[in-house]
Amino acid sequence: MTATDFDVVVVGAGRAGTAAAYKLAQSDLDVALVERAKQPGMKNVTGGVLYGQVVADLVPEFPEEAPLERHVVEHNIKLLHGDAEVSIGYRDMALREEPNYTLMLGKFDRWFVDRAVDEGAVFLPETTVRDVTQSRDHAVVHTDRENGDLTCEAVVGADGVNTTVGRATGIQRTMHNRDMALSVKQVIDVGRDTIEERFNLDSDEGAAYIYTGFPEGAPTIGYFIYTFDEYISVGAVGGLEVLRWLGDEGYGESGTPLYSLLEEFMELDTVRPYVQGESVQEYQGILLPELSYDSLPERYDRRVALVGDAAGLVLNKGYTFRGLDYGIKSGLLAAESAIAADRAGDWDGFGRRYDEWLEDSYVLEDMRQHRHLPKFLENERMYGAYPGIATETLRGMYSAGSDGEGLTWRQALQAFRRSDAGVLDLLKDGYRGFRSL
Amino acid sequence: MSVQDSLETVNWDVSEEAHITVDNDHCVTCEDKPCLHLCPAECFDYQEDQKGGIYFAYEPCVECGACMVFCANDPEKGAVSWSKSEGGKGVEFDFG
Repeated sequence: MTATDFDVVVVGAGRAGTAAAYKLAQSDLDVALVERAKQPGMKNVTGGVLYGQVVADLVPEFPEEAPLERHVVEHNIKLLHGDAEVSIGYRDMALREEPNYTLMLGKFDRWFVDRAVDEGAVFLPETTVRDVTQSRDHAVVHTDRENGDLTCEAVVGADGVNTTVGRATGIQRTMHNRDMALSVKQVIDVGRDTIEERFNLDSDEGAAYIYTGFPEGAPTIGYFIYTFDEYISVGAVGGLEVLRWLGDEGYGESGTPLYSLLEEFMELDTVRPYVQGESVQEYQGILLPELSYDSLPERYDRRVALVGDAAGLVLNKGYTFRGLDYGIKSGLLAAESAIAADRAGDWDGFGRRYDEWLEDSYVLEDMRQHRHLPKFLENERMYGAYPGIATETLRGMYSAGSDGEGLTWRQALQAFRRSDAGVLDLLKDGYRGFRSL
Repeated sequence: MSVQDSLETVNWDVSEEAHITVDNDHCVTCEDKPCLHLCPAECFDYQEDQKGGIYFAYEPCVECGACMVFCANDPEKGAVSWSKSEGGKGVEFDFG
């Protein structure tokens, strides 16, 4: 038996990898946390809310001592249709009881890695992994450092959507446009007081806004606004395949750059009042896996396990994005599988056991329940006809110009008849929506 | 605000070695050139005098990986050779 450098090498110090390293170190395994950035968080981008119960269960200092931005007490879904917007807001003081926060990864990831190091994890920054190999009784993580090969019993691939671990080992299949969404985002300095006035928030409260319906009828394109302490982030998300062909701004007169859509979105009369700010502080771009349960790639091979975005564990529910907590949970399950392997002295079943536990966890339970949702969200009627029907119905209710057109339900029916959607479509979509939510 | 202005807010510690390269031979037969609008950092620029019309600069890359998916992984394209930037180099976000 070869003596290895570490029991486990975790590749990538995002939330998923750091959670794994924390848990492993806590159980006295020798663990290295390899990160290609100079400092944790520098390569990391999110446009999401941290549903933080998984962190609260792991780290006693969370949430009190963690660098968090705002406690989310309001979610808002906004359907855009021309100059109009129909929104469903949900604000609930009961949400204050849940540890759900907006966060900036530059601060949060650094804090989280420090906690893992406190537990005994060895943090190796400025190190890019180039390959991962397995032999009969160990695995090797090949890095771009001089003499940088790290031998270990097992590898946790937490290296994000473009996972080197997954590609080098052949665990992950080749990803294509239909599997991926692009997101671009601006962080804007708005000022604390202005944020609280504009979004109607108390001092530590935060809001998350999700928009669809612009450009009209363009499927899979969405936008978000999140409130931070003094900044807001405003971003756009769109499937690569849709962005490739939508509109006529690209070469050969097809396609639209996502940053152009974001600019146009921010100039809409219904949006501008929320996003006007002093200055743009940062611009970011990232890919997100846009897979359903049935199209998820493989996640393990013997001594190697993929977690978080590397395993495609992201779900666009239409009304919120989940991914941060899925990543953390999957990292913890990989750690637990390693702890079990260490106790049994049998590492060959490390990956398979992790995968079984992940299947039984709320992460894949959630993705299984929503397995038809990605298909449902690709439906163009969700982005054109239905926001249109909602807008026309409400216009009928509130605009004095439509007095005399009859009862509200009759106006709704007329709006529906004027739209491109048929009764059968509505019934089908309603059924699909019901099944996938 | 143009994307070029947006990119002014981003910091890089630029590596001497390109982590992404483009083989322009493949650009000659590429008809729709999605790189020109799908790269969020405008690393790809249309220039008449370049082979296949594509000029590529790795320096302003924000390391999203989109070009791996829409070009490198597309069997009909494949001009892009993609890898992660060298340890400690490349884009550096303050906020994320």
